[in-house]
Amino acid sequence: MRTDRKNTFLQSFLSSKDQLWTVIWIITIAIVGIWDLLFLNRPALEKVITGFINTFSISLLVVCFTLVLSWLITLGFHFFEQKHNHAGYVALTFFLNLLRSIPQIVGILFGYVGIAALVDKGILTGNLAVFPCLAFCMSLFIIAEVVDLMRERIEHFKKLDFYSAMRVCGISESRIVNFDILWKNSRLHIFNKLIAVFGSAVFLQCSVDFIISVGLSTDINPVSLPVTLGSLLAKIDSKQDILAIGNTLFNPSYLPNLLFQHLQGITVAFLIVFSLFCINNISNGYAERHRL
Amino acid sequence: MKNKIIEHISGIIFVTLLLFGFLSFYNTSRAREQERQSSSIRQFIEVPISNINDPFQRALLKDVMNVFYPDQADKNNQIINELLSTKENEFNKKLQKSHLEEHLSISKLQDLLWMLVKFLFTYIIVMLLTWYGVQTIAVWRFISKKQALERKLQLAFKKEKLSFGKKTGSIFNSIFKSIVYFILFSPAYVIAYSIRTEFNTDSLFFMIILGVISNGLLIMYSNKFYAFLISESRKGYLDTALVKNLNSSYLYNSTSGIPYSSIFKFRKNFKGHVFQHIFQNARFQYLSTIKEQACFLITGLIIIEMALNIHGYLNYEMLRQMLYKNYDVVIVIILSIFYTVKITEMLTDFLVYRESLKYENRS
Repeated sequence: MRTDRKNTFLQSFLSSKDQLWTVIWIITIAIVGIWDLLFLNRPALEKVITGFINTFSISLLVVCFTLVLSWLITLGFHFFEQKHNHAGYVALTFFLNLLRSIPQIVGILFGYVGIAALVDKGILTGNLAVFPCLAFCMSLFIIAEVVDLMRERIEHFKKLDFYSAMRVCGISESRIVNFDILWKNSRLHIFNKLIAVFGSAVFLQCSVDFIISVGLSTDINPVSLPVTLGSLLAKIDSKQDILAIGNTLFNPSYLPNLLFQHLQGITVAFLIVFSLFCINNISNGYAERHRL
Repeated sequence: MKNKIIEHISGIIFVTLLLFGFLSFYNTSRAREQERQSSSIRQFIEVPISNINDPFQRALLKDVMNVFYPDQADKNNQIINELLSTKENEFNKKLQKSHLEEHLSISKLQDLLWMLVKFLFTYIIVMLLTWYGVQTIAVWRFISKKQALERKLQLAFKKEKLSFGKKTGSIFNSIFKSIVYFILFSPAYVIAYSIRTEFNTDSLFFMIILGVISNGLLIMYSNKFYAFLISESRKGYLDTALVKNLNSSYLYNSTSGIPYSSIFKFRKNFKGHVFQHIFQNARFQYLSTIKEQACFLITGLIIIEMALNIHGYLNYEMLRQMLYKNYDVVIVIILSIFYTVKITEMLTDFLVYRESLKYENRS
């Protein structure tokens, strides 16, 4: 009986792709961590750990900001529409479409340059002040997708009978939208979107930091912005480690050296790519499990 | 449609005015700052000193100042020091920035225009390739899934076990798939640096390849298209299509199935098969995501050009000009990218509008 229960749990766990990939991600990162602990030199290891923690902390903050901002914007749209405030509605649409039309990397790059200037002037000091600013700047260029989803959900439920029925019952508009539609009936959709937002944030964070470190390093003080996986990858020793992969393609006997001599760059690149791969699988698995 | 065009045009006007406003504010504040700095020595700035390090010329200047403005030796000394340091700074700046400082001119605009043409060419080719790639991968995945279901059913009746060869094949298939997925999810700079020692990664051809396969673009949007196919395949109209006796087998070798070659055609057509309707409806939904895809694609191309420092390309030029603080050039480049996105959005809106006319029987 007990074994049956265990088997059913294991089967359901293995069949839900999102949980499986979450575990694979955590275990693989732990294995990489142990390997680095054994074979990577201490200063490099410390940098990799800091870069990893910083990247994922900023990305988590991006998710929080995106959720709050998009929720507020969606409510803004809804209430402007409800109160027939045409000017407000048009202004909000215009603002959102404008953000949509700016390529994310351009917007974030200029935002980061601005934040680096503030850090250099001493207006922003410490990670506690810098991280939220970076996250806010990035979330501005990601919110459009989440706002679209939330608005779609509200529109969908407004067409159903329960919306009119609840209004007839005297339930307030804000409770219907916030609690009954967005929280009770859409939180799975929103959560799935937020997983994708987390992936986008990791990708954009690494890319912007890589570009800044490669292209603007003489203009922006390297200590102005926190160390992330992207900026670590742009360092000359990491770049040389990555270049060694090309050598291995035509000289396979060099492969073992990658895991011992070129560990910093290989670890950073692996952490970026593997995390993106896993986050995508988790998001897809979650959507599949809940039939979203 | 009219409203959308008005919205796009007002967006273009707003951003253009905003950026030019920023540029004029920046230029004015910089000029004011320079003026403020040199206000105390403004009247002496034109004093001809050929070599500021020559002690004779310095002494001569001091004497002349004391002759013209007697009884303020201390003030004269201060003015001379300020004047000499300003002249030295100007000279050093000129020396350092002579090859870095650039301003908008006809020849610079011509250079930028050529870079924009190259960027647009890359963008259009990558867009067409991803348009084809996204649909092909999603259709292939969908049909493979359906085939696997059909095979599972057949195996369930036959109670046949997989042979060792087939098992090994499926393991190799999984490994190959994982490697491909890994490449598709890699940011462009990781792929490019991995093979930089063996291949020339600065060519246009390589940029196009990277634009298509890297940054997760292909896989993300093919997943989206696949999701549209799945959601369409669950809809009720398919039962009507089956009742009307449309082909429904997904096997390649079956007469009522789907020919293998039709998956890889640029203009996909599955006439007489139920999948034709699933595909058409999914493609209509996919059309509206093109705007988002175009923006993400441009982000990818910018990352490639900037991260790989590919000289002579628009986005690398933007990074370079940002570094040298030539903001007028930066603003022109940003505007050209913004216009590209806006034109794509307008075209997409037009395409969606035209398709919706067809679907709503209004054409």
